[in-house]
Amino acid sequence: MASSYLLPHAQHAPHAHPTASSQPRQHHWSPYTENGGVILGIAGKDYVIIAGDTRSSEGYNINTRTARKIFQLGSGIILGVVGMSADGEELARKVARKIDDYKRNHDKHITVSAAAVMLSRTLYQKRFFPYYCQPLLGGLDENGVGAIYTYDYVGSFEREQSRAFGSAAALITPFLDNQINLKNQFVPGSNGEEPRTPGDMPRDLVEKIVKDAFSSAVERQIEVGDGLQMVTVTRAPPRAEEEEATVEDDDEWTGSTISETLSPLKQD
Amino acid sequence: MRHSPRGGVGRTSVSDDAQFHPPQALFAISTTSIHPPVDPASASYLQISPRIQAGPHIKSTMSNPFTLNGGACLAMTGKDCVAIACDLRLGQQALTLSNNFPKVFNYGDVWLGLTGLATDVQTIHSLFRYKVNLYRLREEREIEPETMANLVSSTLYERRFGPYYVSPVVAGINQRTGKPFICGFDSIGCIDFAKDFIVSGTASDQLFGVAEGLWEPDLEADELFETISQTLLNSLDRDALAGWGAHVYIIKKDSVTKRLLRTRQD
Repeated sequence: MASSYLLPHAQHAPHAHPTASSQPRQHHWSPYTENGGVILGIAGKDYVIIAGDTRSSEGYNINTRTARKIFQLGSGIILGVVGMSADGEELARKVARKIDDYKRNHDKHITVSAAAVMLSRTLYQKRFFPYYCQPLLGGLDENGVGAIYTYDYVGSFEREQSRAFGSAAALITPFLDNQINLKNQFVPGSNGEEPRTPGDMPRDLVEKIVKDAFSSAVERQIEVGDGLQMVTVTRAPPRAEEEEATVEDDDEWTGSTISETLSPLKQD
Repeated sequence: MRHSPRGGVGRTSVSDDAQFHPPQALFAISTTSIHPPVDPASASYLQISPRIQAGPHIKSTMSNPFTLNGGACLAMTGKDCVAIACDLRLGQQALTLSNNFPKVFNYGDVWLGLTGLATDVQTIHSLFRYKVNLYRLREEREIEPETMANLVSSTLYERRFGPYYVSPVVAGINQRTGKPFICGFDSIGCIDFAKDFIVSGTASDQLFGVAEGLWEPDLEADELFETISQTLLNSLDRDALAGWGAHVYIIKKDSVTKRLLRTRQD
């Protein structure tokens, strides 16, 4: 690790320091804090998984071991946020409200692609005092295919297959490259000529990889741990023929089923 | 040299009011201090992340000798075997200068991986070649990995207040006991004895993440080769300062295999 054993810097040497009595000391307040944690999203053929740990910390202190970072926004859309938890929760509330407004105004559920643009605009509206969080939006697109949209702090976004955000992103990202996108893997017997193609991965295998990614991150990153929240969006089971859709039914019908699981991670 | 309390001998001519001036560092390493000098321009809350400004791992490469030249190294244990691997890049910040700069060196039965400031990598390498040659002449035997670990540690600690900017990794099999041995160090010689794997260099975060996911105990030599290669390759692909080819050594008690990995050239 690139640790550094610092030589005494001239300004930091005791004799160069303003003493409490001679110099006024300026105190500084920041509107931002970093609460740690990590989230990851994976899009499959007919499902989307967003997972996150449930630790929320400030420096070396753990504020809570049961903080959820993934929110259900309605209309079959989920949002994971990592960074400053207060900003993340505010952003989730704001977008959930807008998704609800959309449904009331247009009498239909918003699509993920439309919600993705809406989230981008929401972030850009605060271009000069940004939300300090990295959001990951998930849902099923118009064809029922899983979609993950990833953002920076001020709203530039991209649709991706998989992405990790947060304090262990550097640890998880190359693992995901290797295990989900099959990077640096070749078809056995092809003498390193034919790369393995990332195909349709079964959901239970992906869930195992997600759990492995988190338990690996917990071992080496102190800001990650305590619990694993995993939220999955799948296609709703097809309705029986005799069950004729009523107007009220259609109102709630999103075509998606959202399931959420919580499992333990190491607490140290 | 300290003032002699007895006087007469030593540096008594040094005047008493001479102030202690810390040695001027070649590279000023600045970390977040408790009382940072307040710069009105940086006091604005518009600067988003305290981590982006002063995070220990997102420092400008010019002020951090550990990340100036880039590079990565990794060692792993297996069943009666060990492996050590490194990338081949030498850069100066974002500019790649060479794609043939190996960071793993051999001293008899011991292998040493060195990442960090390239000039120190070369200096340390020639220093240990010298020291291990003298050891071999004096002892009339090869140095053992455990002994090498202590030699590396004490050599680095000699420079406690002006360290070499390297993060060494030692790997080898003890020829007397047949036991696999790996360990890592910080730049002033604190030894990290690990049973599983040791990472070092600019891709260390990535290496930790992948190795923690792929490594398992008692891997056979061929499985160990696959594990260390996949760990290194996937980590290098996510680090702009390392890559451009790799060397992998698979070490058993009486055989060593060196492989050159073809990798992405970006």
